[in-house]
Amino acid sequence: MAAPNLSHDPLEPLPLIEGTHTDQTINDSLLTHVLRGAGKGWWMLFGCALSMLGLLVIAISWTLYKGIGAWGNNIPVGWAFGIINFVWWIGIGHAGTLISAILLLFQQKWRTSINRFAEAMTLFAVICALLFPLLHTGRPWFAAYWLMPYPSVQRIWPQFKSPLTWDVFAVSTYFTISLLFWFLGLVPDLAALRETTKSKTKRFIYGLFAMGWRGSGRHWAEYKWAYLLLAGLSTPLVLSVHTIVSFDFATSVIPGWHTTIFPPYFVAGAVFSGFAMVMTWMIPARHFLGLKHVVTMKHLENMNKIMLVTGMMVGYGYVMEHFIAWYSGNPYEMGQFFLTRWHGPMRWIFRTMVFCNIVVPQMFWSKRLRTSIPVMWVAAILINIGMWCERFNIVVTSLHRDFLPSSWKDYSPTWVDLSLFIGTIGLFSTLFLLFLKFVPAVAVTEVKELRHELAEHDAVAGETHA
Amino acid sequence: MSGGHEDSGFVARRFVVAEFATPEALLAGTRKVREGGYKDVDTHTPIPIHGLEAALGLGRPKIPAIVLCGAIAGICIAYSMIYFCNVIDFPINIGNRPMHSPPANIPITFELAVLLAGGSSFFGFFTLSGLPKPYHPIFESEQFGRAAIDAFFLSVELPVGADADKALGDVRAAGAASVELVHESER
Repeated sequence: MAAPNLSHDPLEPLPLIEGTHTDQTINDSLLTHVLRGAGKGWWMLFGCALSMLGLLVIAISWTLYKGIGAWGNNIPVGWAFGIINFVWWIGIGHAGTLISAILLLFQQKWRTSINRFAEAMTLFAVICALLFPLLHTGRPWFAAYWLMPYPSVQRIWPQFKSPLTWDVFAVSTYFTISLLFWFLGLVPDLAALRETTKSKTKRFIYGLFAMGWRGSGRHWAEYKWAYLLLAGLSTPLVLSVHTIVSFDFATSVIPGWHTTIFPPYFVAGAVFSGFAMVMTWMIPARHFLGLKHVVTMKHLENMNKIMLVTGMMVGYGYVMEHFIAWYSGNPYEMGQFFLTRWHGPMRWIFRTMVFCNIVVPQMFWSKRLRTSIPVMWVAAILINIGMWCERFNIVVTSLHRDFLPSSWKDYSPTWVDLSLFIGTIGLFSTLFLLFLKFVPAVAVTEVKELRHELAEHDAVAGETHA
Repeated sequence: MSGGHEDSGFVARRFVVAEFATPEALLAGTRKVREGGYKDVDTHTPIPIHGLEAALGLGRPKIPAIVLCGAIAGICIAYSMIYFCNVIDFPINIGNRPMHSPPANIPITFELAVLLAGGSSFFGFFTLSGLPKPYHPIFESEQFGRAAIDAFFLSVELPVGADADKALGDVRAAGAASVELVHESER
């Protein structure tokens, strides 16, 4: 542990684990929130989440009963809420993958306390995202026929030159790999839970999911490689999934979609919005679950720095879109960016986006603001809103004013659109609250490993000083 | 519990289970026990410990090769599937674009390579480690649960007919804080 007299030195990094701990205290403090009964607050939140989930069930049932006509989109705005929400949710998942995979490969020790939490968010966000492409086909039970290459009596195959088919493979691979990676990391923690719980039922259930893990050295030897390679494989997925999602737009000819900057700009936006969503949940969760000693101010500050960086990448994307529109000399491109976006009927959505995504993160330059919990929580929520507005701009604003003024048409969502969106927030919250109740929210084993590493590091540092 | 029933032919496996105070003691103890001629030695720790592979005398891990095979299989399956569907079985001419267009095949080929490589990493690990295995004799030890929390254990499976007392003494001499003999239960 760091010497106490150094704790106020501004050159000394903030601690990753606060206080003095043993493996036993880490184990117990990180597992209590799973083992104790659900509190009043949890039940209240769960009730809210369930009622939003009910709204989702109603909206889906109505969509299936009435058909896609129940939604607000119509030509020329053929894609609207369905695709906005799909892109928004998929983007949110990216923070989890970045934290668990890329930061692992870069050996960023601070990822350890937040990776399990963020990976769970990835899974739930992708589940929410997957609902929309399925529903927007109108007849989800047919979607399997159209999307999956399997030998049917119709002898017809998907068109593999279409980005929409790429999307199917990209998103389903993303979900599967994220699930495997998450579960593999969870196995030793479930074994710890199995041994910590006093209840026989819980011991049985956690034991079942722990797969009989007994911490064998032979198993660890292969496990470390399996985990590292899954991280390595997830790393290109962070870049590829949203790249392929952006191809859905970029390979078309609509002004506002037809740009080469889309892939990197989508990926940066995905990480940006994902971190904002992690912050939105992490700040209350670390308080209520008693995780402040492992999710310290250093973690929050680092996440804010990542939001500042990715926010500026997104800002660069916006500037570049405008520059290329002007540089191309194409009147439709210029009309889209300089007239429609800034001054058209949807201008408030565009301006909200610029404020939330470009202006708001700039305050993280200040150390005082990026270490203030209320400030970062409000900023995270504003960034979530801003990123939703960004997708609205890309999808709806581009479509409702295309080439011919005779085909221009305004757009407004219906109650079904809004209910589906609110409903997926309910679905996400429900799954997430269940996760917080039944699964350790912090990777216990990895935090123990980190504690040993830090202790060793301090021991070596102590010897060289002495 | 101990010994075997002649009618079922069951012979209980026996394990010496020993706790070590620190990871370093466990590493040294593991080396000593293996030098003492014991074959089926294993360690049980809450966290992976650096240097245990060498102490246990394990060879190169097999997972990387399995994952590579998975990735190559994914590439081959994806590319040949696309080629078969869009060139051989049901060619569709759209604006006279080539039937076989490699750039358009990259995303799915890549995704399937990642999917099968990741899947082989996950399932390869569970196959190699013989998990899920709900029952293992070592769980008979009362103390062993702490191997998942904060304790460092060594286990030695004794061959049939080996002298248990000698083994207990050898493991204790290797620096164990506590030792016990565990029998498999018949279920």
